[in-house]
Amino acid sequence: MVQSILDAISLGGLYSLAALGLGLVFGVMRLVNFAHAELITIAAYTLVLTAQFPLALSLIFTVLVTVFVALLMEFSVYRRLRGVNPAVMLIASFGLSIVLQRVYELMFGALPRSAAVAPFLRGDFKVAGLSITISSVITIVLTITILLAMGYLVEKTSLGLQLRAASADFKTARLLGVRSNRLISAAFGLSGVLAACVALILVIQNPQISPYYGLNITILSLVGIVIGGIASLRGAALGGFIVGVVLSSLNTLLGNGRVYAYSWLFILVLVILLVRPGGLLSKGSELERV
Amino acid sequence: MKHSGVTKFSIQNLLGPIIILILLTHFVGGASTSLQLITQSALCLFVMVLALQVFVGNSGVLSFGHGAFALIGSYVSAMLTAPVNIKDNALAMNQLWEPLISPQVNIYVALVISAAVSALVAAITGVFLMRLNGLAAGIATFALLGVAYNVFFNNKKIGPGSQALPGVPLIENNWILLLLAVISIIIVYFINISKIGRTLRATREDAMAAPALGISIFKVRLIAFILSGAIAGLAGGMYSHVAGTFQVQDYYLEFTFITLSMLIVGGSASIWGALVGTFTITAIGQVLLMMEQDLPVFGIQVQIPLGSRAVIIALTFVVVLLWRSGGITNGKEFRIPKLKRKS
Repeated sequence: MVQSILDAISLGGLYSLAALGLGLVFGVMRLVNFAHAELITIAAYTLVLTAQFPLALSLIFTVLVTVFVALLMEFSVYRRLRGVNPAVMLIASFGLSIVLQRVYELMFGALPRSAAVAPFLRGDFKVAGLSITISSVITIVLTITILLAMGYLVEKTSLGLQLRAASADFKTARLLGVRSNRLISAAFGLSGVLAACVALILVIQNPQISPYYGLNITILSLVGIVIGGIASLRGAALGGFIVGVVLSSLNTLLGNGRVYAYSWLFILVLVILLVRPGGLLSKGSELERV
Repeated sequence: MKHSGVTKFSIQNLLGPIIILILLTHFVGGASTSLQLITQSALCLFVMVLALQVFVGNSGVLSFGHGAFALIGSYVSAMLTAPVNIKDNALAMNQLWEPLISPQVNIYVALVISAAVSALVAAITGVFLMRLNGLAAGIATFALLGVAYNVFFNNKKIGPGSQALPGVPLIENNWILLLLAVISIIIVYFINISKIGRTLRATREDAMAAPALGISIFKVRLIAFILSGAIAGLAGGMYSHVAGTFQVQDYYLEFTFITLSMLIVGGSASIWGALVGTFTITAIGQVLLMMEQDLPVFGIQVQIPLGSRAVIIALTFVVVLLWRSGGITNGKEFRIPKLKRKS
């Protein structure tokens, strides 16, 4: 029971990190970056392929590689698509996502790559007679740390202020002196860092990396940012958290019917959207063409 | 994408794509057995892209849910036409629900039923989905695809589950598939120039002004969703008779992305765009496949490394969007090119 609750919270935290990465980019340029999945995947590959190095070194390297790929996406594709219809941008990000998947397949092979990353974080320990997995506790601690750091960055720093301003109204923010290109690059960079964090947690739990490794969590986090309210970063984090908690709880509660967990989750999402079309944290209705 | 879409009936807009389609089917589809198969599946995909055009192109709302309609259409048509002994075998293996085994109808009746069932599902789900706007609508339609896939993949009482249902009778004649595609073009063309099509494009261009003119966004979107759901169901049904099997995995993410990208690459605002997109992407894919297998293309032998085909297709797709975000046709309908061009 305790383990189930911890699992639910840790999955929720993980999804909220992924959703935050998507939400950051969406906020500044109204782009649903489907290729975020490939950022998570490349980070996971890097972690596994550098597993023989000390963990700290491997982590730094992973963050560098992921941020590099994120910036590459922005410079090579998204910068040229600035201002086009958001639906076209979304489709372009699908295209980019497929390109990267195939490139990974060519580079690393279609079969899963695996290595023990931070093996001391697996297994379980006992508290008051209850056995609890280390990874769920580590996930929760990591997530809270990263969320607090992000909270600090977004609420207290100048970059965070600019990000929030740009999310609220990009045009006005530009008029007030926010440098759009620099800000968008920063948002992509940060989403890369978040993708690396998500990959670290995922790899500890499941070190079998295939070219489609990041796809599932990205789709579900996308659903999360929509139910949380796409307009705000808080909404994104909250929505991701809800999706994670609900999915984990469904898996526990449904027993043999757990194969239908996704169906129940999606139905719940539809219900939430019907009650609050703009997401849980939206203020009033806003028309947006996507 | 802006300010495009036809309003007045023009014979060349309608006949252009039909004639091109007939020529393609005749010359490409008749060239060899492998090209015939590709043409047949391209015709099915084209009908699917047309279905997307009606809804996505006119309303500007992305739909990932049409994969679910194609899935349902394919399922209905396959289950109604597959021989009883094959379904009986499936029962022994997978606990198929008994009343589903005996029904047996003619292929064309099955296709009509599959379009009708998809339309019904679109009507029921559309009542909920079409209340949403913007990105929420796109993701909500994704939920529809997710539920359909999840249920059909896991439930062995209603269908073959994760396995393929073999023995679905084939439509071997290109011309029958062509006829179905042409009928779809005509239907879609008349939807596009009708009041529904025009009001739908008005809501796409300005979601604030359209209601002020007395247009109910919900109503027009719902009608278009139902109509395009029916056509997507037909496309799915056709595909099951070209492939000879029904398999749930055929109608999930990859199918959704490929068909949406065909629409967007061609230009989502027109039938001509749907045709150009479908056949451009199919042709590029085919040429690259031949290069990968080291076969000569138009007498020229170029070899590309194995596995690079998919990268090149996806890259082409991204490059087209970078080059022209309105798609290759920029959303224009077919016109006979004039020698003198204005600006």
